[in-house]
Amino acid sequence: MNIIKGCARIIGDEVSTDIHCSSKYLPGKDAAYIATVAFEQVAPGFAKAFNKGDVIVAGKNFGINSSREQAVHVMHRMGVAAIIAPSFGRQFYRNAINNGMPVIECDISGIVAGDPLEIDLAAGRIAVPAKNITRAVPPLPATVRTLLEAGGLIPFLQKHPDWNVGGEAA
Amino acid sequence: MGHTIAEKILGQHAGGRPANAGEIVVADVDFAMIHDARAGNALKMIEKLGAKSLPHVKRVALVLDHYSPPPNMEAANTHVAMRAFADKYGSPLYDVGDGICHQVLPEGGHLTCGDLVVGTDTHSTTYGAFNAFGTGVEGTDVSAVMMTGKLWFRVPETIRIELNGPLQPGVWAKDVTLTMLGKLGAEGANYRALEYCGSGVSAMAIDDRMTLSNHAAELGAKAALLEADEKTFAWLKAHGAAAPKPVKADADAVYAQRIVIDTATLAPQVARQHNIDDVVPVPDVAGKKIQVALIGTCTNGRLDDIRQAAAILKGKKLAKGVRMIITPASRAIYLSAMREGLFEILTAAGASVEAAGCGTCVNITGHYIAADDQVVISSANRNFKGRLGNPKSEIWIGSAATVAASALTGVVTDARTVAGGDWRAAA
Repeated sequence: MNIIKGCARIIGDEVSTDIHCSSKYLPGKDAAYIATVAFEQVAPGFAKAFNKGDVIVAGKNFGINSSREQAVHVMHRMGVAAIIAPSFGRQFYRNAINNGMPVIECDISGIVAGDPLEIDLAAGRIAVPAKNITRAVPPLPATVRTLLEAGGLIPFLQKHPDWNVGGEAA
Repeated sequence: MGHTIAEKILGQHAGGRPANAGEIVVADVDFAMIHDARAGNALKMIEKLGAKSLPHVKRVALVLDHYSPPPNMEAANTHVAMRAFADKYGSPLYDVGDGICHQVLPEGGHLTCGDLVVGTDTHSTTYGAFNAFGTGVEGTDVSAVMMTGKLWFRVPETIRIELNGPLQPGVWAKDVTLTMLGKLGAEGANYRALEYCGSGVSAMAIDDRMTLSNHAAELGAKAALLEADEKTFAWLKAHGAAAPKPVKADADAVYAQRIVIDTATLAPQVARQHNIDDVVPVPDVAGKKIQVALIGTCTNGRLDDIRQAAAILKGKKLAKGVRMIITPASRAIYLSAMREGLFEILTAAGASVEAAGCGTCVNITGHYIAADDQVVISSANRNFKGRLGNPKSEIWIGSAATVAASALTGVVTDARTVAGGDWRAAA
């Protein structure tokens, strides 16, 4: 999964995934339901128009404040391929990686809805080839890339109980 | 180039050399905690993996504090599952009424200076008061600790905050954390570690230092570290902790930001309704009517908080129309407060005392709901709209001294203006 290609879907700044992408405030609703209405209040029609393989391009502090792991499970259901944002809420960032969702900190200026994106996790590059935009981002460490490839922390540890991924030092 | 406390502790747990901010390391975790608001799904997942893959399970405490006592069948069933898990695998368990995770972990001697500790709760920053790197994680992380004893961490940049001078009587660590929230904004320290230092910290008792580290969670901080001193060592020893491995920052450590707060002249502060960073000095809003006064939570439910309240309310009655609830942060605090006669004073004044637990922090147990238009003043950490079950009520946040002084008068009150408001434990 080192190269990810998908269309940009835009969400604004400071969006809480507890409020907009979990059942924390919708008791009794399951992840399947949340996946059909996620982010509706901040981006009307977002979930309905979302196509499997699209990339969420969010504003600053995406997933701010408390964040449940369920938000990432919901996004997997929606078919989110990756999320790029200038910054993430700390707990959300951690949950995303632990649940196999690529998250990349990146300047998002100039990217609009529908732009086809190319993300190279190993090289640390985000591009919009049609617009000649290419941005360098810090490459994800090998440990994190392997963790994402495995589909998350637990599947990773079942394969690598010693955390050793070989090559680059953990 | 020197290193911060965060860089050193994470480095020591990831091979030995100090780590650098921005690096991702895989580190040995000394102790972990999972509480009843996260354990339901996590324990089911862990059980599926099987006992053979849980060699580190004994260094993970299970704490029944959020749903204490359980308000519904789901929570009650989660509690039964947690007890069964602890029996089967030998994990330490803190049951309903034992207290809040962030209080019972240090009291139980589970951590010491230089340790790396995680918990399924944002306020796991509390352990920084003991010079331990404490940070909040999720159920998956705690499962990984049970399986491997390790976790990955992004090494945070650090903000150094110098507290210049001991606080005045009637002013507490909570007034410092509220000042920081007013300055940086909620989440203003997202991803970052804080290091509190200076004569203002040295003068603080351990109870107050725990508030300093605890309430850093509202700043978005990943950890909030204090250097250890004789007070730290004495407290840890008294609670049966392992020998401390204190960690200091290097003089030439690199910081993302440096802040100095003139704590010697600081006034009591409050956060007004709905936003924890809408912070004003108490004298500016004194006179605002309140109807509910709450003392408790992992932020300010400790013995010194209850002692302050009792000093202010001794021989007095709550203002007409005010109801007050005291929720000690742990069973040990509850027992100490009983022995000191504090509950007699508070009960005679008109307050109610509840069993130890997360209690009044959030409307989980369902019995703290405020009425429409009521104003709650609380020693908790958060005041989101509707956190106490009614979006039409207001929650104001202050120190236990501010809460008790306001309960006495019925309006937001500067504790320095009432008898007993200058109480502080002898050093």
